[in-house]
Amino acid sequence: MTDTDIIVVGAGPAGSCAAIAAAKAGKRVVLIERGPFPGSKNMYGGVIYPRILDELIPDWFEHAPIQRWIVRRSTMLLSDTGALNIDYRSNAWGQAPYNGATAYRPDFDNWLAQQAVAAGAELICSTTVTGLLRDAQGRINGITTDRPDGDLTASVVIACDGVNSFIAKEAGLYKAVDASNYTLGVKETLSLPKSVIDERFGVRDNQGVDIEILGGTSGVNGGGFIYTNLDTIAVGVVLKLPKLSAQKKRPEEIIAELKRHPAIAPLIEGAEVIEYSAHLIPEAGLDMMPKMVADGLLVAGDAAALCLAAGIWLEGVNFAMASGMYAGQSAAQAMTAGNTTAAGLQTYTKKLNETFVLKDHKKLRKIPHLVLSDRVQHKYPGFVTGIVERMFRVENPHPKPGVRRILREERKKAGISLMDLVRDALTGLKGFG
Amino acid sequence: MTIAVCLKWINASGQTDIDDDRFMGFSYADQAALEYALRVAENTNDEVIVVTAGPVGAEAVLRDAIARGAQRAVRIDIDRSHDSAVIAQAIAQAVSHCSLIWCGDYSSDRGSGSVPAFIAAQLSFAQALGLVDIVLPTGAQSPITALRRLDGGRREQLEIRGQAVISVEGSTARLRRASLKGSMAANKQVIEIVTVNQVAVETPPTRAYRPRARAVAAPVGNSALDRVRQITDTSTAKGHGETVHLEPREAAELIVSKLREWGYQS
Amino acid sequence: MSLESLRAANNIERDTTWAELSFQERIDTAEFRIHERAHITVNGDSCRGCTTRECVVACPANLFVPTSDGGILFNYENCFECGTCYMVCNEAGAITWTYPEGGYGIVFHRT
Ligand SMILES: Cc1cc2nc3c(=O)[nH]c(=O)nc-3n(C[C@H](O)[C@H](O)[C@H](O)COP(=O)(O)OP(=O)(O)OC[C@H]3O[C@@H](n4cnc5c(N)ncnc54)[C@H](O)[C@@H]3O)c2cc1C
Ligand code: SF4
Ligand code: SF4
Repeated sequence: MTDTDIIVVGAGPAGSCAAIAAAKAGKRVVLIERGPFPGSKNMYGGVIYPRILDELIPDWFEHAPIQRWIVRRSTMLLSDTGALNIDYRSNAWGQAPYNGATAYRPDFDNWLAQQAVAAGAELICSTTVTGLLRDAQGRINGITTDRPDGDLTASVVIACDGVNSFIAKEAGLYKAVDASNYTLGVKETLSLPKSVIDERFGVRDNQGVDIEILGGTSGVNGGGFIYTNLDTIAVGVVLKLPKLSAQKKRPEEIIAELKRHPAIAPLIEGAEVIEYSAHLIPEAGLDMMPKMVADGLLVAGDAAALCLAAGIWLEGVNFAMASGMYAGQSAAQAMTAGNTTAAGLQTYTKKLNETFVLKDHKKLRKIPHLVLSDRVQHKYPGFVTGIVERMFRVENPHPKPGVRRILREERKKAGISLMDLVRDALTGLKGFG
Repeated sequence: MTIAVCLKWINASGQTDIDDDRFMGFSYADQAALEYALRVAENTNDEVIVVTAGPVGAEAVLRDAIARGAQRAVRIDIDRSHDSAVIAQAIAQAVSHCSLIWCGDYSSDRGSGSVPAFIAAQLSFAQALGLVDIVLPTGAQSPITALRRLDGGRREQLEIRGQAVISVEGSTARLRRASLKGSMAANKQVIEIVTVNQVAVETPPTRAYRPRARAVAAPVGNSALDRVRQITDTSTAKGHGETVHLEPREAAELIVSKLREWGYQS
Repeated sequence: MSLESLRAANNIERDTTWAELSFQERIDTAEFRIHERAHITVNGDSCRGCTTRECVVACPANLFVPTSDGGILFNYENCFECGTCYMVCNEAGAITWTYPEGGYGIVFHRT
């Protein structure tokens, strides 16, 4: 007899959804979190797409601790002095069934974990899982923790322990860890009065804005973001690890430079830093994903590199919640069927393949590399803003130059060969289209 | 015998004004008190009962203490904005059957350290407050010996026997970690709830402290510097220091008369 | 005096309109519950031969400080537990990395 049926490691979005799903299927679930409360260790950019919760918590939008509902999405291309902004607004996103929302993770993750408790899972915080237990056949059947008398046995362990997942690594599911598959996210939470945020970002009540930024990371490959909370703004950058040190620029200096950009500075004028934070992102998508199933073990969320980080998309929480839910359901099914070996747990991979979780990843497979490539990073922002700058610059008495001429001249100035441009355009089209 | 530990639910992030369940916990002083109580109970096979006064959220600290080895938990459902005397009276009622009552010397959220003293007064127990070092009894009959912090770096040595309220400083003991199974069991622990409807504590009428005015002569001197020196210079003795050797009664009388003379007492 | 006129009087350019933080002030905005055990340790000997010094630039908490004798001074207390250092370090055995004791370490509030 095991201590419990299912152990979930990590009470982030993946872990809590796994626990809710398994508890709802009638299993005994223990959810273990190393922080003093769920969400205390978790940092992200700021926007959650929670529609996947419809299945587990139908009225989530009435209770989830949301800051603002996203009604404006902008993509900003920054050169040193210029900015091209593509802005879309939909007030429909601000009403049920909603689209994206900003939320603080210490709020959201804690709330989601409480939903797991309400569903019957047992939440244990302040406990770091230190390893896996195996039975005589080498099947995983529990965990060790840093508590006295800290071993716990179960039929299935679900590893939702985030980007560093020492559990998935210990189980041998990852190939060698390559730093170039990861990006470092650093951000500042800046406080400003709500009325000032409303005015500067053109929103009211609990409407919010999501700005993704390409360029503006001081020559380090990566990107930036700005999200509005009720009375704070999150400003951050995402930086490709191996490039970071080559540029000899420290993360906080890169944020400071982004904040100084003429297109950004007016948005955050007078704001005070109330929290500085950092976290890694598994960036490389399909190319870095581990095996997600072993005998007695499932891996979900960032632990399985399921975060989608493809330039204008930075979605991880929804992928974590979905994969966690499927893991919890599959674990419960496998237990009921009496087979929790890797074969018995395969319904999980099947489910991932059938749903957006892996479909989106397959579709956008090439995009992370494209977006983080040197050309897109260092040449295109200047190229594109250069074109737009000249198209809208009136230099009378000279007549307007033809667009084709501008294109050719700007392309040469940026040092992009026609071949590369066509190739990247095709990759982009194939990936996004 | 039963040993009680009083735990105050406070903001563990060091903020004093934010009541957010996620950031709450108990102070290092309370942690040390719990650790000593558990150690004493291990030696004597006593039951440890933990008590807190506060809202439902405060039960988290009780469960935490249960996880670490306490047996029973009582929450006194009372508004924490009451002053220390009221809180202490409510606690005293809940722990009147206990022989030893352990407390932290004062909580880190601007606590004044007066609750333990009020509890002792309510129950007519002995008190040993602000302890910095404790040696637990070796046998059933031997006392707890302890060092108490006095002003000016001095220490007082105490022997504690019988019923007593003890308060300890935070640095004196490191609280043990809860076992995993202990934490799981604590989640299921039944917490006894005591409601306090009528709090009948006589609190003496208080008024703002206002020392009596006293005439101070203006400094004399030729230059401004001389006059400033006269007020601020500490290099020459002003002659107030005086050591007297008296019986306690006369000493107290002398102190009171001096306080009157200086304007601190009317 | 308005912010605008203050700026004009002091010749402050418009683009520095927020207070620049010292690194200490920056890190002080985050809460760290410090445990007595160092959850990350750095073996200074391995660092002596390291030319890239990736950790010094990359650690968002700025915890790796080069010393004059070619070593690295490391403090574990204000660590975000992000994992960047062990990822970027190429010297096997230079960094021993674990999570802190459950309940300790970084505690985020509004992230
Ligand atoms: C800078 C940045 C910006 C981002 N922006 C967005 C965004 O805007 N929108 C979006 O959807 N996603 C975003 N993401 C991605 C998103 O944060 C992650 O994909 C998501 O948090 C993954 O959820 P998870 O549950 O898998 O892992 P996590 O949220 O990392 O949760 C893992 C949990 O496990 C716990 N844990 C870890 N190890 C142990 C252990 N050994 N024992 C016990 N507990 C353990 C941790 O404390 C944590 O609570 C961003 C990420 C970063 C870093
Ligand atoms: S920790 Fe690694 S990267 Fe940093 S100095 Fe030492 S060897 Fe180099
Ligand atoms: S884990 Fe992150 S914050 Fe901590 S020392 Fe390493 S790089 Fe720095």
